[in-house]
Amino acid sequence: MKTSELLGINARNKLFSYVYNSAKGKNIAASKLKTKKFLKAAGVPVPEVYAKFKNIDEIWDFDWNRLPSSFALKPNQGLGGEGIIVVKRKAKDGNGWITTQKKRVTVDDLKLHATDIIEGAYSMDNEPDIAYVEEYVGRHKAFRKYAYRGTPDIRVIVFNRVPVMAMLRLPTRESGGRANLHQGAIGVGVDIATGITTRAIWHGDLIKFKPGTKRKLHGIKIPQWDKILETAVKAQEACFLGYVGVDVVLHPERGPVVLEINSQPGLSIQMANGVGLKKRLEKVEDLKIRDASHGIKVAKALFAERFSDRVRAEEGLKIVKVFEEIKIKSASGKVVLVPAKIDTGAWRSSIDKSLAEKLGLLDEKNILWRKKVKSALGEDYRPIINLTFWLAGRKITTPAFVSKRSSLKFPVIIGRRSLSGILVDPVVEAEDKLRLVEKGKGVLK
Amino acid sequence: MRGKLWVLVATFLFLFLSSALPAKVSAQKAKTLATPTPVVSPTPTIEPTETPVAKVDITQKTEESVGPLEKLLREQKLGPVWPYNFLKYAIRNSVSAGVPANTIVLLLLLTAVAALIAASRHLIGLRGFGIFMPAALSVAFVAMGPILGITIFIVMIVFSTLFRMITRRLKLRLQYLPRMAMVLWFVVIGVLGILFLAPVIKQPDLKNVSIFPVLILVLLAEDFSRVQAGKSIKTAINMTLETLILALFSFLLLTFSPLQKWALLNPELFLLLVLVFNLVVGKYVGLRFMEYWRFRKLINR
Repeated sequence: MKTSELLGINARNKLFSYVYNSAKGKNIAASKLKTKKFLKAAGVPVPEVYAKFKNIDEIWDFDWNRLPSSFALKPNQGLGGEGIIVVKRKAKDGNGWITTQKKRVTVDDLKLHATDIIEGAYSMDNEPDIAYVEEYVGRHKAFRKYAYRGTPDIRVIVFNRVPVMAMLRLPTRESGGRANLHQGAIGVGVDIATGITTRAIWHGDLIKFKPGTKRKLHGIKIPQWDKILETAVKAQEACFLGYVGVDVVLHPERGPVVLEINSQPGLSIQMANGVGLKKRLEKVEDLKIRDASHGIKVAKALFAERFSDRVRAEEGLKIVKVFEEIKIKSASGKVVLVPAKIDTGAWRSSIDKSLAEKLGLLDEKNILWRKKVKSALGEDYRPIINLTFWLAGRKITTPAFVSKRSSLKFPVIIGRRSLSGILVDPVVEAEDKLRLVEKGKGVLK
Repeated sequence: MRGKLWVLVATFLFLFLSSALPAKVSAQKAKTLATPTPVVSPTPTIEPTETPVAKVDITQKTEESVGPLEKLLREQKLGPVWPYNFLKYAIRNSVSAGVPANTIVLLLLLTAVAALIAASRHLIGLRGFGIFMPAALSVAFVAMGPILGITIFIVMIVFSTLFRMITRRLKLRLQYLPRMAMVLWFVVIGVLGILFLAPVIKQPDLKNVSIFPVLILVLLAEDFSRVQAGKSIKTAINMTLETLILALFSFLLLTFSPLQKWALLNPELFLLLVLVFNLVVGKYVGLRFMEYWRFRKLINR
């Protein structure tokens, strides 16, 4: 990988966090309670708050025994998961609670901890803070086998309404139930398109299995993936921030809820995914994204992992001719036969404008973004759409240029980007070509 | 809260730097810097056995340590005041009015120290506790010597950690600020312990201990304990080590005699170079050296 694809701290702060995050947004993100307020207003689900303490009196006046059997006591401005006490159940003898780490805490312990929080023991520069008690979000059953005594969360980097990269964070014995990588949690890269995990890192090293077990960490399917991405994008929109890391937790009953938002998200996510973040951010920086669903569509088209490569290698390579008939899926789901030219000199595939229109693919919802193109006629903005087609028995989904090709012989060109696992036989049989050109005319009429 | 503290420390530092306290003489230094011309000052009347061990504290004004720098200034030939020599004239005038040349040199070099620390963060990736802590520490090292400085610091860390362990063992439920005050109490006991050892270990550096460098060390110990409480002992040790490394390098820079002389003789160019260096570092958005290491597995793929 080129170093220019990687995002370092300097570039993160100077090119993204500083440029795209407003002061107002950073202020919101620095306070978990403020974040909750703005997210709630925007309809993004968050864990419930049971109690807030702004001063010592409130701590002493509060009836701590009224708290339910599970909850989390947190500092409002805590950093990196510090200063959080999570209890899971009441102690059997009735004296206090048992934490997720199986230690006992009494009301006195909680009061003292809340006092520490208010005095600023966990906030930046010891500034006075607010302590609050929050609903305990348990582990979703999909992660039960992978996380050690804690709730895993999903960190999604969202930039310009596009979910750019994601990572599943699994607490370990060492991290003490917390999902922060520098405390020893495992980071697992996730394919944006499918929500399936790809590779995992622990203490900066690649690992294959959950430590101490033979449980594979790749290939885990994260449930409700699209909902998670949508929640993350909506959270970004709600907080006046352009570039954020959103921590989403899968609530066993309510689905994805947002725990917190980070205006300077960590960079280890690149190692968990094996992909540079800077390159991805640059790809979506100038796009005009309408809403969450558009952003997710763009992300899936751009950042899909090529899982099938491995399968293809096992199947063997397919050989196609220079001119082939492909099947294109129209907006209504109908499949249409179209002649196409396989052009290894082109990177992106492209499709004729009138054909795309006919198939209903030029609908605004299907347009990923528009790209400025210089041609003999000057500058022009050409749409790029999501195109699904079948070639040599393989289903391929790819972003494709829309251009006027009516004067050319083939309405569709298949570029290199869509040709992995396929070989092209360069011999052209004149008959074949003529037949297909004739067909092409038919398609366009 | 920290802001106020810094103002306080800066004031102390200023008083400390500008106060003219009597200090030791270095026969060695005087020898190396001596010139064939006859020395104006009267011959020293101190015992020859003790002088070689004592160190020069250039943060404090003494006749002997001021001499060479002042002499250097006097020997420099200057052109017209504007546009290139205005600072040289200003320095010369204030030195002849009694401002110690050492203070001026240290202030000039302090800009380079700050630039060095900033660059080591942005180009290398050393974190440390901000920029002022290592800079202040390096001045403390100049005043009391790095070995003694680090020794006192380690004693402080040991005592504050000991205190933390004791309170945890005893389950004393103390509130945050009183607890921090008690950390300071323990730290002071530790430093006093070192000073009480002076008659036994006969370390000459111990005579150089003054309150302000110790205060700076106390601040660092407080930072250490805060990180230890909030994050983890590992992070605290890492950040402290990085701070100490930065402070040591800054110390070397501050005491590097050719640089001292050059900065004093070419203050305009020196300040301009530091400024340009800061601008270049501030514009850098590439990977830091330590990030190349961190991402090495991705880069080599």
